[in-house]
Amino acid sequence: MKSKKSAPGPPPRFVTNFIKMLVAPHLREEILGDLQERYYRRMQQQGAAKAGRRYWLESLAYLRPAFIKRQKEAFPSTFLLDSAMFENYLKITYRTFFQNKLYSIINVAGLSIGLAAAMLIMLYTKDEISYDQFHEGVSQIYRVDRKIIKSEGIAANSGYTGYFQGSRFSAGVPEILAFVRLQQAQVEMKMGTEIQLQAVSLVDSNFLSVFTFPLISGNAKTALLDPGSVVITEDMAQKQFGTTDVLGRTIFLKDGKGFNPVTVTGVAKNCPQNSSIKFQVLRPLNVSASEESVNENWFRFFLNTFVVLAPNTNVQTLNAKMQKVFEADAAESIKMIREKYGLADVGLSFFLQPLTEIHLSENVPASDGLSDAGNPAYSYILSGIALFILIIACINFVNLMVARSIKRAKEIGIRKAIGGNRNQLIVQFLGESFLLCLAAFVLAILLVQVVLPVFNQLSGKALALSYLVDFKLIAGYIILFISTVLLAGFYPALIISDYNPVRALNARFTLNGKNYLQKSLVVLQFGLASFLIISTFVIFSQFDFLTSEKLGYDDSDLITIEKWSTKHDQAALFKEQLMKNSNITGVAFKNNGYSGNTVKVNQDQKVNITYETIDASFIPLLKIPVLKGRNFSRSYPSDSTHSVLVNEAFVKQAGWKEPVGQEIAFFDTHEKYRVVGVVKDYHFKPLTEKIEPQLFTMNPGSDYGMFYIKIKPGSETSSLKYIAETFKNMFPLDSYSYGFKDQENLKSYEAEGKWKQILLFGAILTIFISCIGLLGLSVLSAETRTKEIGIRKVLGASVAGIVASLSRDFLKLVLIALLLAIPLAWLAANKWLENYPYRIALNGWLFAFSAMIVIMISLLTISFQSVKAALANPVNSLRSE
Amino acid sequence: MRRSDLGEFEEVVLLAVAALSPNAYTVAIAEELESETGNLVTSGAVHAALQRLEQKGYLRSVWGEATAERGGRRKRLYAVTALGGRVLQEARAVRSRLWDRILPSIRLEWS
Repeated sequence: MKSKKSAPGPPPRFVTNFIKMLVAPHLREEILGDLQERYYRRMQQQGAAKAGRRYWLESLAYLRPAFIKRQKEAFPSTFLLDSAMFENYLKITYRTFFQNKLYSIINVAGLSIGLAAAMLIMLYTKDEISYDQFHEGVSQIYRVDRKIIKSEGIAANSGYTGYFQGSRFSAGVPEILAFVRLQQAQVEMKMGTEIQLQAVSLVDSNFLSVFTFPLISGNAKTALLDPGSVVITEDMAQKQFGTTDVLGRTIFLKDGKGFNPVTVTGVAKNCPQNSSIKFQVLRPLNVSASEESVNENWFRFFLNTFVVLAPNTNVQTLNAKMQKVFEADAAESIKMIREKYGLADVGLSFFLQPLTEIHLSENVPASDGLSDAGNPAYSYILSGIALFILIIACINFVNLMVARSIKRAKEIGIRKAIGGNRNQLIVQFLGESFLLCLAAFVLAILLVQVVLPVFNQLSGKALALSYLVDFKLIAGYIILFISTVLLAGFYPALIISDYNPVRALNARFTLNGKNYLQKSLVVLQFGLASFLIISTFVIFSQFDFLTSEKLGYDDSDLITIEKWSTKHDQAALFKEQLMKNSNITGVAFKNNGYSGNTVKVNQDQKVNITYETIDASFIPLLKIPVLKGRNFSRSYPSDSTHSVLVNEAFVKQAGWKEPVGQEIAFFDTHEKYRVVGVVKDYHFKPLTEKIEPQLFTMNPGSDYGMFYIKIKPGSETSSLKYIAETFKNMFPLDSYSYGFKDQENLKSYEAEGKWKQILLFGAILTIFISCIGLLGLSVLSAETRTKEIGIRKVLGASVAGIVASLSRDFLKLVLIALLLAIPLAWLAANKWLENYPYRIALNGWLFAFSAMIVIMISLLTISFQSVKAALANPVNSLRSE
Repeated sequence: MRRSDLGEFEEVVLLAVAALSPNAYTVAIAEELESETGNLVTSGAVHAALQRLEQKGYLRSVWGEATAERGGRRKRLYAVTALGGRVLQEARAVRSRLWDRILPSIRLEWS
């Protein structure tokens, strides 16, 4: 305790503050003075503790209405949202809106574009994250995935498993309640005389009870029990029969050699668009016990296995259990495979992946027989672009609102002078922003409706506006709206309401200060826009590179026909038929797709290869240069049995100096071949993949699956007709489909094409909205400097000089923005290009060009107004004051 | 004279203002009353009474000087108006008349 004589300290602050807050302002000084005086006196007389207690008591005595009641002001202020004032606000809003049509349209249009972009992205992301959520008990459904650790330490993940894993794992792990296998197949289907290739999903009979795909007719439990049954979707039923009432009707599907009738036992609703599993035709997957238990089946992967787990199962421990089952069960076959293929150092393990994670998984995506693997990067990039656009639109809103308010300074001054207080002004301007945002919001919804088809095409989705009717999404839009109103409206409201009435009523009112915020907002806008423009240029150049780079072979006028398992003699007959037409200049065969294999060279060195079966005319038809040795030839009968061609990459990997005549041996069959020629590396796969060692044989044992037909340029129509007829005659039971090789090659770059378009749109939008904002600001700048310009002109300044003086400030900002954006864009572009083995080199020109474009566009925008101001007759601007 | 015009506490406060004038302000009055009556008198109660009296027109006030012990805040000095004086006089007269009517013998019996 302090001595009685000590200097008085302040009274308890908490109490003081409380009183300060509570009592009316006009009484505050007196009351606080009284309290403090009494406190000090008491302290000197009775000590600090007692004085403190008394201080409390004294303060409490002020808790009465007489002290709390605020004094009435001389001029009563109106209620914040007085109806008369509200009407006035509306009127003023309406008038200012139509007085400055240009600004208003810029503002609302920009904002609605930004909002629409944000809405679309919200739709997109909602769809992306809602994938596969519609299944009942989805939290218990997992897919069995596998991981192969290669000798180089690279792990290859895949969702593919075989017949074997489902039954073995569910037998060995009690937590697995059920399993469903799903195999995708292309099956020829007959309707009348028409034969078409149809995607058919082969599934276990419990498929419809594990997954929630409701049937509109038929029994989900029994529909897939009979091997001769088939379940089709509504769309499929409509397409095939013209009605959905098709229970018991017959479809012909190709089985083995001929067409077999199957009976429709169920019609399912069309698969939801946000489903990884999409089917049109479901057939029972009938695997005999003998088929399933072939020794190597642990190591054959070609279908998806889904398992249903008991509730609340720990997946980690389950993965370990599964691994034990696998190691115990597969021990024999592992041993055997190691001996046979020499894969001693390869590890295999199985793990579970939740169904809901498949769509956006980067680890094991939905690509394995499932549709629509989503790339989370798309969601991020799209959201980023939408955010960019929205921010830029909001910045415009802020800048234009503040800029316009300068013209309204008189109104604000008068409002303040006649007693409007700051809160009222804030309410008024926030209200105006609110109304503009509301208009923009409504426009945005219309805009979304209009561009949705385009967006669907871009994003490869089937989104509809009805998607909007979702509680979470509506909440999201409301949040978006409110934050836009606050983001775009709050700052102008604060700035405007802060005007000094005396200065605001003065005719030569300008914004005080250096406006760092406004300037940095402009820099931010143009920084974002420049970033997107540079990125777009990079993607364009890379895309251009990918699509125009020489592939190393000639893909022009080349028609491809896919036909599985064609025997060599059939193919030769087909070729003979085709060559009768003079428009067809060449025919070659190849196996379908690319199969991987391993060969031994130099005694025991292993080379992983892509293995192709071709005929002698393949290399010359595609104009692939043979660098060493020779092409296959009919004059060497041994070519079809003992000769191979290899590519340069193979030679490099084998380390051969003299490749021709070297011996290679296949790992699995131990067959020995001799290299007769080396072909130049060519991009047999898209440029997004590196050229790997490739090996060609003419092995008559393996079937062809792809025909290459070279036609004379300009004869497409007649040649195609002839080819189709010949095909039908030769292979009446097969479906016919053709493609042009060069177009097919382009298809490999769909992802890049999509990025290109998305970014292009984003870049155009951002630069457009940024320029709109810049236009508004330059108009303002020219207007506030009308007099200055007039005087300069009278004193003899040139138009060019005035334009320069008006543009300089803005151009500086744009330049700063570019300086900030270029390094960032460079980093991002580099990161992106790392994904491509064949890529463009980033050079200064690309950036210089982008910078030029940004500068040109902004200069154009600014000069539009500057020139107008500079050309104006100074008499007009100087006459009135 | 109506009862509501001058409460008992108000009367005392009014009297105290008159007594302390020209140096009558809340704290001084509260202290004066505390020492006279021996009871706790809060400045809030005094202030409230002063406000009421001023509203009724019995008092007027001006800002006084600021002192250090008030934290540099000014005090408000009160003075009795003519009306206030009259009201006081009247109150006193009423009391005297009543006192006068009490017989001396009764007064003696109290003590």
